[in-house]
Amino acid sequence: MVSVQAIQDVHLDIHQISKVYPGNRGLLGASFSVVQGELIAIVGHNGAGKSTLLKLLANWLNPDGGQVSVQGVNLRERLALVRKVGFVPESPNLHDAFSVDYNLMLFARLFGVPASRVEDTLQEFKLIPFRRSPVRTLSKGLKQRVSIGRSLLADPPILLLDEPTSALDFETTKDIYRLIHRIHALGKTILFTSHRPEEIKSLATRILVLHEGVVAFDGAPDAYFQSAFYQTLYV
Amino acid sequence: MIRTVITLLTHDLAVAFKSKTLYLVICIPLFVYATLTLVDPPGARVAPLNIALLQTESYAPVFLASIKSVPDMFAVRWVSNHEAAIKLLNERVMDGILTPDVGDASRLQLTVVKQASAETLIMMQRLAALQISAEGKGPGWIAAVKSLQTSSIKRQTLPTWILMMVLLVSFIVLPSQVAEEKEKQLLLGWMQTPVREIEWLASKLAYGIVLMLTAVVALQWMDGESFCVHGVSYLVMLCTGGFCFGALGICLGLLCRNQASARTLGVLCYLPLLLPAALSDMSQELRGIAPLVPSYHFYEPIRAMLLDDSGFAFYIQSWMSLVAIGLLACFASHRLIQKRWLM
Repeated sequence: MVSVQAIQDVHLDIHQISKVYPGNRGLLGASFSVVQGELIAIVGHNGAGKSTLLKLLANWLNPDGGQVSVQGVNLRERLALVRKVGFVPESPNLHDAFSVDYNLMLFARLFGVPASRVEDTLQEFKLIPFRRSPVRTLSKGLKQRVSIGRSLLADPPILLLDEPTSALDFETTKDIYRLIHRIHALGKTILFTSHRPEEIKSLATRILVLHEGVVAFDGAPDAYFQSAFYQTLYV
Repeated sequence: MIRTVITLLTHDLAVAFKSKTLYLVICIPLFVYATLTLVDPPGARVAPLNIALLQTESYAPVFLASIKSVPDMFAVRWVSNHEAAIKLLNERVMDGILTPDVGDASRLQLTVVKQASAETLIMMQRLAALQISAEGKGPGWIAAVKSLQTSSIKRQTLPTWILMMVLLVSFIVLPSQVAEEKEKQLLLGWMQTPVREIEWLASKLAYGIVLMLTAVVALQWMDGESFCVHGVSYLVMLCTGGFCFGALGICLGLLCRNQASARTLGVLCYLPLLLPAALSDMSQELRGIAPLVPSYHFYEPIRAMLLDDSGFAFYIQSWMSLVAIGLLACFASHRLIQKRWLM
């Protein structure tokens, strides 16, 4: 029997969500629930539906079917949803010609959050030295930090990260891990996609394996690393 | 080396096909050919010129008999009064009005839209030939030529420049910028904020209108011409044109996957909208088909307001059609964003 506390803590309830591309690819009907404070790694082969799942939750794509509730808010209620879910795509979609300051301030204005929040974000993400630099001049790691900072301006309880360390060097990757740990420690619920076993091991509190568009494994990291899925994917 | 060059060339052609640049290269010459064929049809006989005569005036019997005897040169229409004839001339239904000259009642005054036009020249030549065949050598029938448009060439070409700037912003600037926002996922970025789709659309439309008005003000300021007698109506028409074509441009941008496609499709829309409207003064055939093109419903009121001092009331229908097309394009754009079309 599910306790009242558990129901209250459910942040994300996904039921048979699907987005099918030609050739029966994509997400064919995934269901799972997420409670507050979880740090979930979504893993799977290329084309398994990982990015599609995050894009559906971020409202970047319209689902073909299924139900999603984010703290009681339906996926179709975009204006309410944007304050609950922050999304960081694999390639940061920042305004390249403008400064870090400008990029953050623009989103702060649209969300109606005070300018002091931008200052806090610049401090928190160690972006003060780069605040006046045009985004196009920043390294990929720095762009990723700006992108994560921007997605947290409105203080959403859920953060979605699509391959946050793809194409980053070792040091920058470690830096992003520390950042994710810090955000998680603030009580945020985080879902991220990854191909890196060490990343999954170092960050995740729960692992979801997507295989051919459905959830094939859902469990703790220890169970995952001993399972056949890990062997199939990485060994 | 040749093999490498051919491989790269084939690749470039494939890219041109993918980005629809090939359509541009094929469609524009076709379109220019079709338009110029309408302006100057090969082997076509010269059409009769439409002449208005006033029922309130008396004309010499020899003149009337002569002009009616050559229906392939002149199509005569009797009009009740001078105001009605001027209205027909402004609407380009008539090519000229013949009235008895004020100084010498035995001779005539010819009123035309533009004095320095091919039509006026042909009219004068035909009337002179007719007079010589009817009366032999003698004083010409035409004592004076009066023009409705007395403005400078700068002023007379201003409507065409305005149409060009409005279409340039609408079909070259806006689609490319919208497609860039799609391509770089910036539009999806806006959709991650509390920005409503309609707010995004409104901002893009306002951006287009601001650019167009800036261009028009700059054009008029540099020409040193006065703004317009009907200032408010003129401004309303400019903004309506900006709204209509801006909305079409945004819709076009949303239909494209990337900037290259948007630029190509923008040019493909730009010329067909520019030429028939801007050349409608030059040929009766083009004047016949120009009302089918939305840009004509912007060009004609602007032209009439600037050159004929016509008021807004004559162009309510054109204004309404521009608003309707703009609203339809906005609706389509809204649906495309909601559907996350090619995003």
